[in-house]
Amino acid sequence: MTTVRRLLAPSPASLVALLTAPADATTSGLPDGLRRAVCERLGGGGHDVVLRLDAFAVERGPARFGEPFRWTVRASRRTLGTAALRHLEDRVATDPLRAATEAIEALCDRAHRGLARRGTLGTWLATQPAAVRAACAVAAATWATAVAHVVDLDLHHDVVAVGVPDAWVEVPGARTTLHGRADAVGRAEGRGVLRVRDGAPGPRALDGLAVDGLLASLVAGGADQPARILGAWPDAGLCVVVELDAETLRRGARALVRAAPSPKPVVVSPPLAA
Amino acid sequence: MPATTFRAADDLVDALRGTAALRPVADRGLAGGLRAWLEDGVFERVGAPEPDAVSLSTRDVAGAREDAGPLAWLRGSMVGALLALRVAGVALTDPLERAVEVLRASGRNDALLRTLDALDADERARLAAEVGAHSRVLCDRLATPPPRWAPRCAVRQRVSVAGGALVLRGLVDLALGAPGGERACVCLLDVTTARLDASHETALAYLALLETIRSGEPPLRVAALSTADGAALVRDVDESLLADGVAAVIAALPVPGSS
Repeated sequence: MTTVRRLLAPSPASLVALLTAPADATTSGLPDGLRRAVCERLGGGGHDVVLRLDAFAVERGPARFGEPFRWTVRASRRTLGTAALRHLEDRVATDPLRAATEAIEALCDRAHRGLARRGTLGTWLATQPAAVRAACAVAAATWATAVAHVVDLDLHHDVVAVGVPDAWVEVPGARTTLHGRADAVGRAEGRGVLRVRDGAPGPRALDGLAVDGLLASLVAGGADQPARILGAWPDAGLCVVVELDAETLRRGARALVRAAPSPKPVVVSPPLAA
Repeated sequence: MPATTFRAADDLVDALRGTAALRPVADRGLAGGLRAWLEDGVFERVGAPEPDAVSLSTRDVAGAREDAGPLAWLRGSMVGALLALRVAGVALTDPLERAVEVLRASGRNDALLRTLDALDADERARLAAEVGAHSRVLCDRLATPPPRWAPRCAVRQRVSVAGGALVLRGLVDLALGAPGGERACVCLLDVTTARLDASHETALAYLALLETIRSGEPPLRVAALSTADGAALVRDVDESLLADGVAAVIAALPVPGSS
Protein backbone atom coordinates (compact mmCIF):
# COMPACT_ATOMS: atom_id res chain seq x y z
CA MET A 1 0.00 0.00 0.00
CA THR A 2 1.36 3.41 -0.96
CA THR A 3 0.15 6.78 0.24
CA VAL A 4 1.26 10.29 -0.63
CA ARG A 5 1.12 12.98 2.02
CA ARG A 6 1.94 16.62 2.35
CA LEU A 7 5.19 16.56 4.25
CA LEU A 8 5.39 19.42 6.66
CA ALA A 9 1.85 20.54 7.28
CA PRO A 10 0.66 20.77 9.90
CA SER A 11 3.68 19.29 11.68
CA PRO A 12 6.25 16.53 11.27
CA ALA A 13 4.60 14.67 14.14
CA SER A 14 2.45 12.57 11.80
CA LEU A 15 5.57 11.47 9.93
CA VAL A 16 7.23 10.45 13.17
CA ALA A 17 4.12 8.48 14.10
CA LEU A 18 4.51 6.52 10.86
CA LEU A 19 8.20 5.92 11.54
CA THR A 20 7.44 4.46 14.94
CA ALA A 21 4.10 2.71 14.36
CA PRO A 22 4.10 -1.11 14.29
CA ALA A 23 3.60 -3.02 11.06
CA ASP A 24 0.06 -3.46 9.86
CA ALA A 25 -1.49 -6.86 9.16
CA THR A 26 -0.48 -6.95 5.48
CA THR A 27 3.24 -6.70 6.21
CA SER A 28 4.60 -10.19 6.36
CA GLY A 29 8.32 -9.53 6.29
CA LEU A 30 10.88 -10.80 3.85
CA PRO A 31 9.43 -13.53 1.59
CA ASP A 32 11.19 -16.89 1.78
CA GLY A 33 13.89 -17.28 -0.81
CA LEU A 34 13.93 -13.65 -1.93
CA ARG A 35 17.48 -13.04 -0.73
CA ARG A 36 18.75 -16.13 -2.55
CA ALA A 37 16.82 -15.24 -5.71
CA VAL A 38 18.25 -11.70 -5.81
CA CYS A 39 21.80 -12.92 -5.26
CA GLU A 40 21.47 -15.64 -7.90
CA ARG A 41 20.16 -13.20 -10.48
CA LEU A 42 22.86 -10.65 -9.76
CA GLY A 43 25.63 -13.18 -9.19
CA GLY A 44 26.17 -14.20 -12.79
CA GLY A 45 27.19 -10.76 -13.95
CA GLY A 46 30.63 -11.35 -15.42
CA HIS A 47 31.45 -7.65 -14.95
CA ASP A 48 35.10 -6.69 -14.97
CA VAL A 49 34.53 -3.70 -12.66
CA VAL A 50 33.14 -3.50 -9.16
CA LEU A 51 29.45 -2.74 -9.51
CA ARG A 52 27.39 -0.86 -6.99
CA LEU A 53 23.61 -0.97 -7.34
CA ASP A 54 21.39 1.39 -5.41
CA ALA A 55 18.15 3.33 -5.67
CA PHE A 56 19.81 5.93 -7.91
CA ALA A 57 20.88 3.25 -10.38
CA VAL A 58 17.32 1.97 -10.38
CA GLU A 59 15.78 5.39 -10.92
CA ARG A 60 18.27 6.78 -13.42
CA GLY A 61 19.14 3.69 -15.40
CA PRO A 62 22.45 3.18 -17.23
CA ALA A 63 23.32 6.91 -17.05
CA ARG A 64 24.25 6.22 -13.44
CA PHE A 65 27.26 4.22 -14.62
CA GLY A 66 28.33 6.69 -17.31
CA GLU A 67 30.75 8.74 -15.25
CA PRO A 68 33.23 7.52 -12.63
CA PHE A 69 32.50 8.68 -9.12
CA ARG A 70 34.46 11.60 -7.70
CA TRP A 71 34.07 13.45 -4.45
CA THR A 72 32.55 16.91 -4.75
CA VAL A 73 30.84 19.30 -2.36
CA ARG A 74 27.53 17.84 -3.46
CA ALA A 75 28.65 14.21 -3.26
CA SER A 76 29.95 14.75 0.27
CA ARG A 77 26.78 16.42 1.50
CA ARG A 78 24.83 13.39 2.71
CA THR A 79 27.80 11.56 4.22
CA LEU A 80 28.89 14.64 6.15
CA GLY A 81 25.30 15.57 6.97
CA THR A 82 24.74 12.11 8.44
CA ALA A 83 27.90 12.45 10.53
CA ALA A 84 26.70 15.88 11.66
CA LEU A 85 23.34 14.44 12.71
CA ARG A 86 25.18 11.81 14.73
CA HIS A 87 27.13 14.58 16.48
CA LEU A 88 23.87 16.42 17.16
CA GLU A 89 22.20 13.32 18.52
CA ASP A 90 25.16 12.57 20.77
CA ARG A 91 25.05 16.20 21.94
CA VAL A 92 28.67 16.64 20.77
CA ALA A 93 27.57 19.78 18.92
CA THR A 94 24.60 22.06 19.40
CA ASP A 95 23.85 23.11 15.83
CA PRO A 96 24.19 21.48 12.39
CA LEU A 97 26.92 23.81 11.07
CA ARG A 98 29.20 23.24 14.04
CA ALA A 99 28.42 19.53 13.90
CA ALA A 100 29.33 19.36 10.19
CA THR A 101 32.53 21.32 10.77
CA GLU A 102 33.52 18.95 13.57
CA ALA A 103 32.74 15.93 11.38
CA ILE A 104 35.02 17.32 8.67
CA GLU A 105 37.80 18.02 11.15
CA ALA A 106 37.56 14.48 12.49
CA LEU A 107 37.77 12.97 8.99
CA CYS A 108 40.73 15.18 8.04
CA ASP A 109 42.47 14.27 11.27
CA ARG A 110 42.11 10.57 10.49
CA ALA A 111 43.45 11.15 6.99
CA HIS A 112 46.44 13.14 8.25
CA ARG A 113 47.27 10.33 10.67
CA GLY A 114 47.24 7.86 7.79
CA LEU A 115 44.12 6.06 8.98
CA ALA A 116 41.98 6.76 5.89
CA ARG A 117 42.10 4.71 2.72
CA ARG A 118 42.79 6.24 -0.68
CA GLY A 119 39.63 7.51 -2.35
CA THR A 120 37.67 8.00 0.85
CA LEU A 121 35.94 11.23 1.74
CA GLY A 122 38.45 11.97 4.51
CA THR A 123 41.39 11.65 2.13
CA TRP A 124 39.70 13.96 -0.37
CA LEU A 125 38.79 16.54 2.28
CA ALA A 126 42.31 16.55 3.67
CA THR A 127 43.66 17.60 0.27
CA GLN A 128 41.14 20.39 -0.24
CA PRO A 129 41.64 24.06 0.68
CA ALA A 130 39.86 25.49 3.70
CA ALA A 131 37.28 27.22 1.50
CA VAL A 132 36.14 23.91 0.00
CA ARG A 133 35.91 22.31 3.43
CA ALA A 134 33.81 25.26 4.61
CA ALA A 135 31.52 24.92 1.58
CA CYS A 136 31.17 21.21 2.37
CA ALA A 137 30.23 22.07 5.95
CA VAL A 138 27.52 24.50 4.82
CA ALA A 139 26.11 22.01 2.29
CA ALA A 140 26.10 19.23 4.90
CA ALA A 141 24.51 21.49 7.52
CA THR A 142 21.79 22.48 5.04
CA TRP A 143 21.04 18.81 4.40
CA ALA A 144 21.20 17.86 8.10
CA THR A 145 18.85 20.72 8.99
CA ALA A 146 16.32 19.43 6.47
CA VAL A 147 16.45 15.90 7.92
CA ALA A 148 16.29 17.18 11.49
CA HIS A 149 13.24 19.22 10.62
CA VAL A 150 11.46 16.38 8.82
CA VAL A 151 11.59 14.27 11.99
CA ASP A 152 11.47 17.24 14.39
CA LEU A 153 14.62 15.92 16.03
CA ASP A 154 14.55 18.16 19.09
CA LEU A 155 11.18 16.75 20.09
CA HIS A 156 11.46 13.16 18.91
CA HIS A 157 15.10 12.14 19.42
CA ASP A 158 13.95 9.48 21.89
CA VAL A 159 11.82 7.63 19.32
CA VAL A 160 13.65 8.40 16.06
CA ALA A 161 17.32 7.66 15.36
CA VAL A 162 19.18 9.81 12.83
CA GLY A 163 22.69 9.38 11.46
CA VAL A 164 22.02 5.66 11.04
CA PRO A 165 24.22 3.40 8.90
CA ASP A 166 23.17 2.48 5.38
CA ALA A 167 22.41 -1.10 4.37
CA TRP A 168 25.19 -2.85 2.43
CA VAL A 169 24.74 -6.29 0.90
CA GLU A 170 27.57 -8.09 -0.91
CA VAL A 171 26.42 -10.45 -3.64
CA PRO A 172 28.33 -13.72 -3.16
CA GLY A 173 30.47 -14.73 -6.12
CA ALA A 174 30.11 -11.40 -7.90
CA ARG A 175 31.83 -8.07 -7.74
CA THR A 176 28.51 -6.46 -6.94
CA THR A 177 27.50 -4.50 -3.86
CA LEU A 178 23.95 -3.46 -3.10
CA HIS A 179 23.57 -0.14 -1.26
CA GLY A 180 20.37 0.84 0.51
CA ARG A 181 20.22 4.28 2.06
CA ALA A 182 18.50 5.24 5.32
CA ASP A 183 18.45 8.73 6.82
CA ALA A 184 16.42 8.00 9.94
CA VAL A 185 14.68 5.01 11.53
CA GLY A 186 12.10 4.56 14.23
CA ARG A 187 13.65 3.11 17.35
CA ALA A 188 10.74 0.76 18.11
CA GLU A 189 10.43 -2.77 16.78
CA GLY A 190 8.56 -2.85 13.49
CA ARG A 191 10.11 0.49 12.75
CA GLY A 192 9.90 2.62 9.65
CA VAL A 193 12.84 3.75 7.55
CA LEU A 194 13.06 7.35 6.27
CA ARG A 195 14.79 8.50 3.10
CA VAL A 196 15.19 12.22 2.47
CA ARG A 197 15.53 13.09 -1.19
CA ASP A 198 16.18 16.11 -3.40
CA GLY A 199 13.71 17.66 -5.81
CA ALA A 200 10.36 15.99 -6.37
CA PRO A 201 9.44 12.31 -6.71
CA GLY A 202 10.23 11.09 -10.22
CA PRO A 203 8.38 8.44 -12.21
CA ARG A 204 10.50 5.63 -10.71
CA ALA A 205 10.58 6.97 -7.15
CA LEU A 206 8.53 4.06 -5.84
CA ASP A 207 11.02 1.57 -7.30
CA GLY A 208 13.83 3.48 -5.57
CA LEU A 209 12.01 3.37 -2.25
CA ALA A 210 11.25 -0.33 -2.71
CA VAL A 211 14.98 -0.98 -3.25
CA ASP A 212 15.97 0.92 -0.12
CA GLY A 213 13.24 -0.92 1.79
CA LEU A 214 14.33 -4.30 0.44
CA LEU A 215 17.97 -3.75 1.39
CA ALA A 216 17.00 -2.53 4.87
CA SER A 217 15.00 -5.75 5.23
CA LEU A 218 17.86 -7.92 3.97
CA VAL A 219 20.33 -6.60 6.54
CA ALA A 220 17.85 -6.54 9.42
CA GLY A 221 17.60 -9.48 11.73
CA GLY A 222 14.42 -11.58 11.64
CA ALA A 223 12.55 -9.71 14.36
CA ASP A 224 13.78 -6.30 13.30
CA GLN A 225 12.19 -6.12 9.86
CA PRO A 226 11.21 -2.56 8.90
CA ALA A 227 7.47 -2.16 8.51
CA ARG A 228 7.47 0.64 5.96
CA ILE A 229 9.67 3.08 4.12
CA LEU A 230 8.96 6.78 3.95
CA GLY A 231 10.38 8.91 1.19
CA ALA A 232 10.46 12.60 2.06
CA TRP A 233 11.05 15.28 -0.58
CA PRO A 234 11.39 18.52 1.45
CA ASP A 235 11.99 20.61 -1.70
CA ALA A 236 8.51 19.64 -2.85
CA GLY A 237 6.91 19.28 0.60
CA LEU A 238 5.86 15.72 -0.20
CA CYS A 239 6.14 12.39 1.55
CA VAL A 240 5.45 8.96 0.08
CA VAL A 241 4.76 6.11 2.48
CA VAL A 242 5.23 2.53 1.25
CA GLU A 243 4.34 -0.49 3.38
CA LEU A 244 7.09 -3.09 3.05
CA ASP A 245 4.83 -6.03 2.26
CA ALA A 246 5.90 -9.01 0.15
CA GLU A 247 4.80 -7.38 -3.09
CA THR A 248 6.84 -4.20 -2.43
CA LEU A 249 9.92 -6.22 -1.54
CA ARG A 250 9.60 -8.27 -4.74
CA ARG A 251 9.17 -5.03 -6.67
CA GLY A 252 12.46 -3.80 -5.20
CA ALA A 253 14.17 -7.06 -6.15
CA ARG A 254 12.89 -6.86 -9.73
CA ALA A 255 14.02 -3.23 -10.00
CA LEU A 256 17.53 -4.14 -8.80
CA VAL A 257 17.85 -6.97 -11.29
CA ARG A 258 16.65 -4.73 -14.12
CA ALA A 259 19.12 -2.01 -13.14
CA ALA A 260 22.16 -4.27 -13.35
CA PRO A 261 23.94 -3.63 -16.63
CA SER A 262 24.04 -6.55 -19.04
CA PRO A 263 27.23 -8.56 -18.88
CA LYS A 264 29.74 -7.88 -21.60
CA PRO A 265 29.10 -10.10 -24.62
CA VAL A 266 31.75 -12.74 -25.10
CA VAL A 267 33.70 -11.84 -28.21
CA VAL A 268 34.80 -14.90 -30.12
CA SER A 269 37.85 -14.26 -32.28
CA PRO A 270 37.41 -15.20 -35.93
CA PRO A 271 39.43 -18.20 -36.96
CA LEU A 272 42.82 -17.42 -38.30
CA ALA A 273 43.04 -17.43 -42.07
CA ALA A 274 44.63 -20.49 -43.43
CA MET B 1 3.16 45.83 -0.07
CA PRO B 2 4.30 46.34 3.55
CA ALA B 3 7.98 46.80 4.18
CA THR B 4 9.90 46.60 7.41
CA THR B 5 11.78 49.64 8.62
CA PHE B 6 15.19 49.12 7.13
CA ARG B 7 18.01 51.62 7.24
CA ALA B 8 20.99 51.34 4.96
CA ALA B 9 23.30 50.99 7.95
CA ASP B 10 21.36 48.04 9.38
CA ASP B 11 22.75 44.58 9.13
CA LEU B 12 20.56 42.57 6.80
CA VAL B 13 20.51 39.47 9.00
CA ASP B 14 19.24 41.52 11.94
CA ALA B 15 16.67 43.22 9.72
CA LEU B 16 15.43 39.86 8.50
CA ARG B 17 15.09 38.25 11.89
CA GLY B 18 13.79 41.29 13.74
CA THR B 19 12.57 41.07 17.32
CA ALA B 20 11.42 37.60 18.31
CA ALA B 21 8.56 38.86 20.47
CA LEU B 22 7.08 40.83 17.57
CA ARG B 23 6.88 37.94 15.13
CA PRO B 24 3.36 37.00 14.02
CA VAL B 25 1.75 33.68 14.82
CA ALA B 26 2.43 31.19 12.00
CA ASP B 27 -0.71 31.02 9.87
CA ARG B 28 -0.91 27.41 8.70
CA GLY B 29 -4.29 27.90 7.09
CA LEU B 30 -2.95 29.89 4.17
CA ALA B 31 -1.10 27.18 2.24
CA GLY B 32 -4.15 25.15 1.26
CA GLY B 33 -6.06 28.18 0.05
CA LEU B 34 -3.11 29.45 -1.98
CA ARG B 35 -2.70 26.09 -3.64
CA ALA B 36 -6.40 25.97 -4.50
CA TRP B 37 -6.24 29.51 -5.85
CA LEU B 38 -3.26 28.60 -8.01
CA GLU B 39 -4.97 25.49 -9.34
CA ASP B 40 -8.09 27.44 -10.25
CA GLY B 41 -5.92 30.05 -11.98
CA VAL B 42 -4.02 27.41 -13.95
CA PHE B 43 -7.26 25.81 -15.08
CA GLU B 44 -8.80 29.12 -16.13
CA ARG B 45 -5.68 30.16 -18.02
CA VAL B 46 -4.54 26.99 -19.73
CA GLY B 47 -7.33 24.45 -19.17
CA ALA B 48 -6.29 20.97 -18.07
CA PRO B 49 -2.72 20.55 -19.31
CA GLU B 50 -0.72 17.32 -19.43
CA PRO B 51 1.50 16.37 -16.46
CA ASP B 52 4.78 18.34 -16.46
CA ALA B 53 3.43 20.50 -19.29
CA VAL B 54 4.60 23.80 -17.81
CA SER B 55 7.66 24.48 -15.69
CA LEU B 56 8.33 27.96 -14.36
CA SER B 57 11.41 29.29 -12.59
CA THR B 58 11.84 32.47 -10.57
CA ARG B 59 13.21 34.11 -13.68
CA ASP B 60 10.12 33.21 -15.71
CA VAL B 61 7.72 34.48 -13.07
CA ALA B 62 9.58 37.64 -12.12
CA GLY B 63 9.48 38.95 -15.66
CA ALA B 64 11.95 39.28 -18.46
CA ARG B 65 15.30 40.55 -17.42
CA GLU B 66 18.17 40.93 -19.83
CA ASP B 67 19.50 37.56 -20.79
CA ALA B 68 22.68 37.13 -18.79
CA GLY B 69 25.82 36.08 -20.65
CA PRO B 70 28.17 33.34 -19.42
CA LEU B 71 30.37 35.85 -17.59
CA ALA B 72 27.39 37.16 -15.63
CA TRP B 73 26.42 33.58 -14.73
CA LEU B 74 29.99 32.91 -13.66
CA ARG B 75 30.06 36.04 -11.51
CA GLY B 76 26.70 35.14 -9.97
CA SER B 77 27.82 31.60 -9.17
CA MET B 78 30.99 32.96 -7.59
CA VAL B 79 29.02 35.32 -5.38
CA GLY B 80 26.81 32.36 -4.42
CA ALA B 81 29.93 30.43 -3.41
CA LEU B 82 31.18 33.42 -1.41
CA LEU B 83 27.82 33.62 0.35
CA ALA B 84 28.25 30.02 1.54
CA LEU B 85 31.73 30.88 2.80
CA ARG B 86 30.34 33.96 4.56
CA VAL B 87 27.75 31.77 6.28
CA ALA B 88 30.53 29.43 7.39
CA GLY B 89 32.44 32.39 8.83
CA VAL B 90 35.37 32.14 6.42
CA ALA B 91 37.36 35.35 5.90
CA LEU B 92 36.92 36.32 2.24
CA THR B 93 40.48 37.26 1.41
CA ASP B 94 41.28 36.87 -2.30
CA PRO B 95 37.61 36.23 -3.12
CA LEU B 96 38.16 35.17 -6.74
CA GLU B 97 40.51 32.36 -5.75
CA ARG B 98 38.24 31.24 -2.91
CA ALA B 99 35.22 31.19 -5.22
CA VAL B 100 37.12 29.29 -7.94
CA GLU B 101 38.20 26.68 -5.39
CA VAL B 102 34.60 26.13 -4.34
CA LEU B 103 33.26 26.07 -7.91
CA ARG B 104 35.90 23.52 -8.97
CA ALA B 105 34.89 21.26 -6.09
CA SER B 106 31.16 21.78 -6.50
CA GLY B 107 30.68 19.11 -9.15
CA ARG B 108 27.95 21.13 -10.85
CA ASN B 109 29.68 23.98 -12.65
CA ASP B 110 31.82 22.40 -15.35
CA ALA B 111 30.47 24.65 -18.12
CA LEU B 112 31.12 27.78 -16.05
CA LEU B 113 34.63 26.59 -15.27
CA ARG B 114 35.31 26.15 -18.96
CA THR B 115 34.25 29.78 -19.41
CA LEU B 116 36.64 30.77 -16.62
CA ASP B 117 39.54 28.79 -18.06
CA ALA B 118 39.00 30.41 -21.45
CA LEU B 119 39.50 33.94 -20.07
CA ASP B 120 42.71 35.73 -20.92
CA ALA B 121 44.73 37.55 -18.27
CA ASP B 122 42.95 40.90 -18.74
CA GLU B 123 39.50 39.36 -18.56
CA ARG B 124 40.45 37.38 -15.51
CA ALA B 125 41.83 40.47 -13.79
CA ARG B 126 38.60 42.32 -14.57
CA LEU B 127 36.57 39.42 -13.17
CA ALA B 128 38.75 39.38 -10.05
CA ALA B 129 38.08 43.10 -9.53
CA GLU B 130 34.34 42.64 -10.00
CA VAL B 131 34.11 39.64 -7.70
CA GLY B 132 36.20 41.51 -5.14
CA ALA B 133 33.79 44.46 -5.24
CA HIS B 134 30.75 42.18 -4.86
CA SER B 135 32.47 40.36 -2.01
CA ARG B 136 33.13 43.62 -0.15
CA VAL B 137 29.47 44.61 -0.44
CA LEU B 138 28.40 41.14 0.70
CA CYS B 139 30.62 41.35 3.77
CA ASP B 140 29.49 44.91 4.56
CA ARG B 141 25.78 44.16 4.36
CA LEU B 142 25.55 40.61 5.63
CA ALA B 143 26.96 39.47 8.93
CA THR B 144 27.71 35.79 9.44
CA PRO B 145 24.41 34.47 10.81
CA PRO B 146 24.60 32.69 14.17
CA PRO B 147 24.56 28.90 13.64
CA ARG B 148 21.59 28.57 16.02
CA TRP B 149 19.45 30.26 13.35
CA ALA B 150 19.94 27.18 11.18
CA PRO B 151 21.36 28.93 8.10
CA ARG B 152 20.88 26.95 4.88
CA CYS B 153 22.38 27.88 1.53
CA ALA B 154 21.06 27.15 -1.96
CA VAL B 155 17.74 25.72 -0.79
CA ARG B 156 15.76 24.45 -3.74
CA GLN B 157 11.98 24.64 -3.98
CA ARG B 158 10.00 22.50 -6.40
CA VAL B 159 6.24 22.63 -6.09
CA SER B 160 3.84 20.77 -8.38
CA VAL B 161 0.28 22.04 -8.74
CA ALA B 162 -2.71 21.12 -10.88
CA GLY B 163 -1.95 17.41 -10.67
CA GLY B 164 1.66 17.91 -11.73
CA ALA B 165 0.73 19.96 -14.81
CA LEU B 166 2.56 22.99 -13.48
CA VAL B 167 5.95 22.75 -11.79
CA LEU B 168 7.17 25.84 -9.96
CA ARG B 169 10.91 26.00 -9.25
CA GLY B 170 12.76 28.39 -6.99
CA LEU B 171 16.18 28.71 -5.41
CA VAL B 172 16.68 30.48 -2.10
CA ASP B 173 20.25 31.65 -1.64
CA LEU B 174 20.04 31.78 2.15
CA ALA B 175 17.29 30.58 4.48
CA LEU B 176 17.26 31.24 8.22
CA GLY B 177 15.07 29.79 10.96
CA ALA B 178 13.11 26.53 10.95
CA PRO B 179 9.37 26.21 10.40
CA GLY B 180 7.15 24.36 12.83
CA GLY B 181 7.14 26.77 15.76
CA GLU B 182 4.22 28.75 17.12
CA ARG B 183 5.48 31.96 15.50
CA ALA B 184 6.70 32.47 11.95
CA CYS B 185 10.47 32.62 11.90
CA VAL B 186 11.72 31.47 8.49
CA CYS B 187 13.50 34.20 6.53
CA LEU B 188 14.55 33.92 2.89
CA LEU B 189 17.28 35.93 1.22
CA ASP B 190 17.86 36.26 -2.50
CA VAL B 191 21.32 37.57 -3.36
CA THR B 192 21.74 39.06 -6.81
CA THR B 193 24.65 40.66 -8.61
CA ALA B 194 22.23 42.83 -10.60
CA ARG B 195 20.72 46.11 -9.39
CA LEU B 196 17.34 45.74 -7.72
CA ASP B 197 14.27 46.59 -9.77
CA ALA B 198 10.56 45.79 -9.79
CA SER B 199 11.21 42.21 -10.88
CA HIS B 200 12.90 41.50 -7.56
CA GLU B 201 9.71 42.41 -5.68
CA THR B 202 7.90 39.81 -7.77
CA ALA B 203 10.70 37.30 -7.24
CA LEU B 204 10.40 37.72 -3.47
CA ALA B 205 6.62 37.22 -3.57
CA TYR B 206 7.15 34.08 -5.68
CA LEU B 207 9.77 32.61 -3.32
CA ALA B 208 7.53 33.33 -0.33
CA LEU B 209 4.62 31.62 -2.10
CA LEU B 210 6.64 28.48 -2.86
CA GLU B 211 7.94 28.29 0.70
CA THR B 212 4.40 28.63 2.06
CA ILE B 213 3.04 25.88 -0.17
CA ARG B 214 5.88 23.42 0.34
CA SER B 215 6.30 23.84 4.09
CA GLY B 216 2.70 24.65 4.96
CA GLU B 217 3.75 27.79 6.79
CA PRO B 218 4.41 31.31 5.46
CA PRO B 219 7.91 32.64 6.06
CA LEU B 220 8.38 35.63 8.32
CA ARG B 221 10.25 37.85 5.87
CA VAL B 222 11.85 37.75 2.47
CA ALA B 223 14.65 39.97 1.27
CA ALA B 224 16.78 40.67 -1.75
CA LEU B 225 20.33 41.99 -1.58
CA SER B 226 22.12 43.46 -4.55
CA THR B 227 25.86 43.02 -4.28
CA ALA B 228 26.22 45.51 -7.15
CA ASP B 229 25.43 48.50 -4.93
CA GLY B 230 24.43 47.12 -1.53
CA ALA B 231 20.75 47.98 -1.97
CA ALA B 232 18.38 45.70 -0.09
CA LEU B 233 14.67 45.06 -0.14
CA VAL B 234 13.03 43.52 2.92
CA ARG B 235 9.37 42.48 2.92
CA ASP B 236 7.15 41.12 5.66
CA VAL B 237 5.24 38.13 4.35
CA ASP B 238 1.49 38.54 4.60
CA GLU B 239 -1.60 37.65 2.60
CA SER B 240 -1.16 40.49 0.13
CA LEU B 241 2.43 39.53 -0.69
CA LEU B 242 1.43 35.91 -1.20
CA ALA B 243 -1.51 37.03 -3.37
CA ASP B 244 0.97 38.98 -5.49
CA GLY B 245 2.95 35.76 -5.86
CA VAL B 246 -0.12 33.83 -7.05
CA ALA B 247 -0.99 36.60 -9.52
CA ALA B 248 2.56 36.62 -10.87
CA VAL B 249 2.53 32.86 -11.43
CA ILE B 250 -0.81 32.97 -13.24
CA ALA B 251 0.35 35.91 -15.37
CA ALA B 252 3.51 34.01 -16.31
CA LEU B 253 1.62 30.96 -17.57
CA PRO B 254 1.83 30.53 -21.32
CA VAL B 255 -1.54 30.98 -23.01
CA PRO B 256 -2.47 27.96 -25.16
CA GLY B 257 -1.91 28.67 -28.84
CA SER B 258 0.81 31.26 -28.22
CA SER B 259 4.34 30.12 -28.93
